[in-house]
Amino acid sequence: MSMQRIIIVMLLFFLSEGTIFYWLIPGDLVGRIIPHFTLAFVLFAALYRGRHASLLLGLSFGLLQDLAFYGRIIGVHSFSMGLVGYMTGLLLERKRSTLLMALSMIGLSTLVYDTVVYFIYKVFRLTDLTYEYSLYQHIIPSLFLQLLFALALYIPARRWFEGSLKPKTEEEEV
Amino acid sequence: MFNWMRNRRMFVLMIVFILFVAVMGFSIGDRKKLTWPENFALDTSGFFQQWLYRPAGYVSNLIHDLSHMREVYKENEQLRIAAAAYARDSIKYNGMEDKLKKLQDDLHFTERQRQLDNYKYLIAQVIAVSTDPYDETIRINLGSKDGIKPNMAVVTNKGLVGLITRVDPFFSSVMPITKLNVNSADTKLIAATVLGKEEESFGIVDNYDTETGKLSMSKISEHDPLKKGDTVISSGKGNVFPRGMVIGTVDSSQVGDFGLTYTATITPAADFDHLREVFVVQTPDTGDTAP
Repeated sequence: MSMQRIIIVMLLFFLSEGTIFYWLIPGDLVGRIIPHFTLAFVLFAALYRGRHASLLLGLSFGLLQDLAFYGRIIGVHSFSMGLVGYMTGLLLERKRSTLLMALSMIGLSTLVYDTVVYFIYKVFRLTDLTYEYSLYQHIIPSLFLQLLFALALYIPARRWFEGSLKPKTEEEEV
Repeated sequence: MFNWMRNRRMFVLMIVFILFVAVMGFSIGDRKKLTWPENFALDTSGFFQQWLYRPAGYVSNLIHDLSHMREVYKENEQLRIAAAAYARDSIKYNGMEDKLKKLQDDLHFTERQRQLDNYKYLIAQVIAVSTDPYDETIRINLGSKDGIKPNMAVVTNKGLVGLITRVDPFFSSVMPITKLNVNSADTKLIAATVLGKEEESFGIVDNYDTETGKLSMSKISEHDPLKKGDTVISSGKGNVFPRGMVIGTVDSSQVGDFGLTYTATITPAADFDHLREVFVVQTPDTGDTAP
């Protein structure tokens, strides 16, 4: 699958985050389970494509999220998504990773992402929740959702990101 | 040459970091007008989101209604009673309005005074909701082309939901009052009073406690007649915010931080989950807004 197609799929997931998915979760879990679908794609890109693709996807989709839901501040998601994508890519770029490895890496990176977002809001004094509270309140519950989402998308996403890269590497080998 | 790559990477990271801090600092707080890239992104995403949110809401409500068939009958009955009460009240209201108009004429009210209570309720559809815990934003499908301005009140039939924060040409963002935070850098304050005791009671709703789910109203004088169970409404002093928007009911009242004023906890009246339609309250243009 080419990069354009992946971006279109990501856009669809991005649009569903604030609309369809919002209607799927029951009222008392709103604000506790926060979807990070685009982040999952960014991390898949980091694992199976490369750190630069991941960095670009992270920066642009983070910026899209910042702008589309501009309430208080612009740039938080863009910065943290780009950073987390790049770091994950730096650690595990195109290593042969198993399902368990990929899932734990995505879980860890999501945790780091949420932590970075929390501390940016904290630094700008836009939140006065304690870290422990937000960890319990939404970071851990959304981590479970993220893992489930990554598990469901593991095989197709891997095929999409690796598949479009294959012809290139073969040419290089020749 | 030794670790040149590493140094360059650090350098780029530092520059990007500084750039982002600058953008973040710039984007906090009140901004009257947004730049065109922001407007473009907000409008485009809003355009696509509205085609997903409404059908999803419709389907979800349908399923909910089907599974609560019995309650729907009960609700219908209540609505019929409410409609009967409304018909009775509207006769009374018409009579009172006539009387009020006559009295205003007798007292030579100026045009500005006459228009003071003439609020317009613009109905808006919700098109998307961001569930980001630090930056909950409700997007609605009215924008600056429809006369929406920042800091307008957004209500449902139950009570105050939030304030308009960002406005782009066709859509705008609403900050729910659950994001009021007295310690935050960009907080808003709502002057409030108690229904039925508008002259004697005054306080400022300025904080929402996420852990207890209650609003707090501070700076209440000790001689204030406010008590448990009272309905808190916005007072409209200052002409920015409309008068009489229901905020919630008083839960308890205790001595505030410095012992001089009282602080009351308030249970919010409105529901913030899964909204479909909201009303934006447009205050009459009294002509004294700065250009």
